[in-house]
Amino acid sequence: MSNFKIDIREKENINVIDLKGYLDAHTAPELEKIFQNLIEVQKFNIVVNCEELNYISSAGLGVFMAYIEDVRKHNGDIKLSNMSAKVYNVFDLLGFPLLYDIAKDEAEAIKKFISVKK
Amino acid sequence: MSIPVLQSEKKHLENVFDMQSLFEFSNVVNASLDLKFIFNHFILTLMGKLLSLRGIVLLERKPGIFCIESVKGLPSDLINTEIRIAKIPKRMINIEREDIRKNPWLKLFKINEIHFLLPLITRDRIVGIAGVSPDRRKKKLNKQAMAYLKSIANIAAAAIDKGLYINELAVINKQLDRKIQELKTLFEVGKEFNGVLDADRVVKLLLFSVMGQIGVNRYVLCLTQGGEMEVISSRLDKEFDRKLCAYFPSIESPILIGNLKRKADQAVQKQLMDVGIQVLVPLKLQNQTKGILGLGEKLNRETYSKKDLEFLSSLGNLAVISLENARLFREAIEKQRLEDELLIAKEIQRGLLPAKLPAIPTFDVAATNISSKQVGGDYYDIITLSHEHYVLAIGDVSGKGTPASLLMANLQATIRALVPLGLSLGELTKRVNDLICENTGSGRFITFFWGILHVESRTFKYVNAGHNQPILLRADSTIEKLDKGGMILGIMKAPNPYQEGEVTINTGDVLVLFTDGVSEAMNSKGEEMGEERMENVIRMNSKESADTILSKIVEDVREYSRNTVQSDDITLVVLKAIIPDCSLEN
Repeated sequence: MSNFKIDIREKENINVIDLKGYLDAHTAPELEKIFQNLIEVQKFNIVVNCEELNYISSAGLGVFMAYIEDVRKHNGDIKLSNMSAKVYNVFDLLGFPLLYDIAKDEAEAIKKFISVKK
Repeated sequence: MSIPVLQSEKKHLENVFDMQSLFEFSNVVNASLDLKFIFNHFILTLMGKLLSLRGIVLLERKPGIFCIESVKGLPSDLINTEIRIAKIPKRMINIEREDIRKNPWLKLFKINEIHFLLPLITRDRIVGIAGVSPDRRKKKLNKQAMAYLKSIANIAAAAIDKGLYINELAVINKQLDRKIQELKTLFEVGKEFNGVLDADRVVKLLLFSVMGQIGVNRYVLCLTQGGEMEVISSRLDKEFDRKLCAYFPSIESPILIGNLKRKADQAVQKQLMDVGIQVLVPLKLQNQTKGILGLGEKLNRETYSKKDLEFLSSLGNLAVISLENARLFREAIEKQRLEDELLIAKEIQRGLLPAKLPAIPTFDVAATNISSKQVGGDYYDIITLSHEHYVLAIGDVSGKGTPASLLMANLQATIRALVPLGLSLGELTKRVNDLICENTGSGRFITFFWGILHVESRTFKYVNAGHNQPILLRADSTIEKLDKGGMILGIMKAPNPYQEGEVTINTGDVLVLFTDGVSEAMNSKGEEMGEERMENVIRMNSKESADTILSKIVEDVREYSRNTVQSDDITLVVLKAIIPDCSLEN
């Protein structure tokens, strides 16, 4: 019984990951696998849409920490979007807004990728 | 065109204006919790009233230390400058009337052309100080202006005081939230650790949680494995020298590498800093350091706080308990697996040994195999070729457990397949060796002895392939050792047939084939029994039946190795010629 779900789709050549439910110590390895797969096939422009993310724990944040450098090394980025106040609060508490690009919504996050390319 | 106003009326208007302005100021600053806004509004109100071109506000940040928070008409780089003021004036002062030599801190204001200093007092406590330089025309302040300034300073002080409290509360709240987050993490990870018996997953969860909570992505994790600290996982920009692990078991509490002061630590300190490690956290189980977590710089470049270290210790200790559980679980499984395997090996071995010994006319024969707990690869066999010819064989396969049993099965099958070919024993042994060589991997071999007994002539032709030399005790108590043969089976293909030996076994002679489980049985001091002791037992019992001789030898081995665990199989074959030659002829 896992109340966590990950969907992945492509939009304007950007890989969008939809997180749903609880990202915690138990489910963190699932997100890790997704990042690993994307990096393996050289997809480095990633938006993580947190619209339906109800909860994130330190272990969940740790996955972002573990892969951000690999992605940025290849001129990509992991941008986050559509965060609820509750989830943002955890990011904020641990100082993540300094390290990560957090956009209001998905469109804004995607636009940031595209404007950088031009 | 100005309308002439009476002096008294002007004063009245000024009064009303002051009151209005005070009221407004009070409303505005009290509605805000933003200190910067309060400073700004305060300073502008002061400057407006006094037609001042410059203004400055300082707050007491630590006892006696005042920090410039806001300036107007002055260089903005003055902001955050700290000055020490031993004794702050309780009333407004005119700097030009003060003795700078007595109060050197006034110099800062003097050079910035601030003329008046106004203490900010609330609840009898000075929270800060404000400075202005009124226009020349306003240099002489009347009583009413003084009262106005004092009021405005008091209102500002109260608002600032409130703002400071709120700010402090916000900081405390954030710290509290962080603490809650830490506890949540510990709780969640602890719960997750409990259910996981897979060490790799525990390590992964530990590292993810640390990276997320602390905001770091450079680490090295070392754990004690088999008595030595080893690197389990690392992510550093430079290679981590494994030799550093030797230093780790001595670490008992978290340390910041930058704080290492002892001379003995300097070399290690330099090496750790070179690879970017800033902090070492011991992972402890029952007060023993079982592992070390080394972390690099936090991504926000802050140094590690005491709270960070406490959190890391707690998390690390939780992880180590879980890792220890995983290890014990793995060991239990492995032990179970080994025991299952041994059971299989024992069954194979038992199946290969003859269930019942053939009766050999005019000879008395007995044999036994007592397998040790680990199951060695001992083997014996007595094969009836014809009513006159019998094969006696004994062997010891290197190694223990299932692999040894399987090789033994291989040997038995080979012997049984080749014996009917009717070749000489030396040639047969060569072929057995060559086949075993082809079928076994390197490092496995068999010491092997076998012979063919011809009942009528009582001759015994044999080949000894590196096996313990069987003892032939003659009726006159002399001993011969059956040593003719060649190299151990399974090492390399033999260029020539093995050398054969031949002896005649006469009435009363006793032949004992044995394996090293007998001659090398250990006593509690770790000394081997040796063959001489066995020879004596055989001698003393030579008049007895083969069965009795065999059990006396076993008894003696048991006696010798009392209080020790039998480490190898014990295998014995005893052959005794019993009925005189003539009896056959009769």
